[in-house]
Amino acid sequence: MAEQAIVRPTFAARYRKILLGGFAVILFFAAWQAIFLFVPFNPLFISKPSLIAAGLVDLIGSGDLFHDLAVSAVPFFIGLAAAVIVGVPLGIVMGWRPRVGYALDPLMTVFYASPLVALAPLLVIFFGVGVSGKAVIVFVLAVFPFIFNAHAGVRAVDQLLINVVRSLGGGEWDLYRMVIFPSVLPYIVASSRIAVGRALIAVLVGEFFAASEGIGYAISRFGDIFALDRMFGCILVVMVIAVVLTEGIRWAERAAFPWRTRQ
Amino acid sequence: MRQATPVAGRCGLGDHDRRLQGEIRRTQENRIVRMAGYIEGRNVSLTFRPPNRAPLRALGGFDIAVEEGEFLSIVGPSGCGKSTFLNVVLGLTKPDSGEVLMHGKPIGGPGSDRAMVFQEFGLLPWRTVQHNIELGLELKKVPAEKRRATAERLVVLVGLAGFEQHYPHELSGGMKQRVGLARALATDPDVLLMDEPFAALDAQTRDLMQAELLRIWREARKTVLFVTHQIDEAIYLSDRVVVMSKRPGRAKKVFAIDLPRPREYEMRVTPEFNDLKLEIWNTLKDEIVA
Repeated sequence: MAEQAIVRPTFAARYRKILLGGFAVILFFAAWQAIFLFVPFNPLFISKPSLIAAGLVDLIGSGDLFHDLAVSAVPFFIGLAAAVIVGVPLGIVMGWRPRVGYALDPLMTVFYASPLVALAPLLVIFFGVGVSGKAVIVFVLAVFPFIFNAHAGVRAVDQLLINVVRSLGGGEWDLYRMVIFPSVLPYIVASSRIAVGRALIAVLVGEFFAASEGIGYAISRFGDIFALDRMFGCILVVMVIAVVLTEGIRWAERAAFPWRTRQ
Repeated sequence: MRQATPVAGRCGLGDHDRRLQGEIRRTQENRIVRMAGYIEGRNVSLTFRPPNRAPLRALGGFDIAVEEGEFLSIVGPSGCGKSTFLNVVLGLTKPDSGEVLMHGKPIGGPGSDRAMVFQEFGLLPWRTVQHNIELGLELKKVPAEKRRATAERLVVLVGLAGFEQHYPHELSGGMKQRVGLARALATDPDVLLMDEPFAALDAQTRDLMQAELLRIWREARKTVLFVTHQIDEAIYLSDRVVVMSKRPGRAKKVFAIDLPRPREYEMRVTPEFNDLKLEIWNTLKDEIVA
């Protein structure tokens, strides 16, 4: 068979993408470490990977890091869940009901385009310093990608499939359930990649303004007391979380839709 | 003119007779005597009015009468309103004037007595073969075991046994249309509407699917209304062929196809077949605007 005749690629060729990407990351940190061999190092203004690693080990050992992460995770997930619950149906209805779409589209676009982060202090005042205030900020930032992507997804629905379900006696609810929602689902997953990034920023910003615990609070506090190794350590942890979440969604995207042609 | 050849009361009715028959049936209807599976289109006209564009007259006084159990094909130039008429019969589109009757009653919307096989298949990509076939039954709230039994039977009928759990993207075009056919048959409609069902298939697959369709039609005993561009296909499959005029579409001429059944592939090279083909082509060619 033709497939068997194909030469199997070497290890280096097969993992070229990961190897090159990983190499660049390592090179970056190595360069960061090495540059202080030539440039004077002042721990009040900058840190370096060796110190950051030590600081991280400290934070993990004391349990502070996990405590802060757990505290921040609550508003993050509540806000994100609320964004899905509100944003997806709203976007679908906007896409499927043209009049609703015409009415709400300009308003939503204005909100999406405006620097909503600037509202964070206000939202904290309205909704409190605790979980609720932060959850609202997360919601406000994360809801728009869901609305707009669901909206776009509905407009891409195949009219033929609508006719098929209608011709077999399907009503409005059947159209939502059997055609529109499954068509929109990949768009929703794609939008959650964007939304997760925005939600992380929202949690951090919320905690910068007013908090007594949480990873955002930890970053700003370590900054204030010039513990830059720990500050960078926390930032690094947030970065890793962001990458893991978005890549996880990307992986789920490929795995969750068996009807799509696997690349 | 072949139109004039009566075939077991299927055709050969003059205009006057046909109208008379309509009258009779309407009086009969009052006594709840109905002719099952009988479709009649009377003076059906339909104009599309797309926003910001000139209105498009798709059908202009289209008349048609389909007998129960008949295989009737409609051929006509592109854009003559063939597919539009099928959508009217299906109940997805309403005509501006005229009426389409089934069992002597006007068609008011989609119903489980009719089902369509679409040119581009229209399979739900997120459903397996089995669940695509079950779609119509699910919408009719048929219990799951019963749905599965029907799907199992139909999968065999259309020759897809073993592919129940495949997704549409894993199937070839011919296989997809087999699923489309099985889905249409699942709700056990009286009438199968087929809108250029094999147009998206390659030539050999198309030949194979035509033979398959004849076999399934023999077994399932449905009235079939078949729209196509291909004269060969129309003759090979049909009891009668309606040639439509260019837009706005009317019925230009009706040909009775008296070729014996069951029909074999070899029939396509007989002189009778080719005579018919030429006759239909001569009727059709004036309507084609290149």
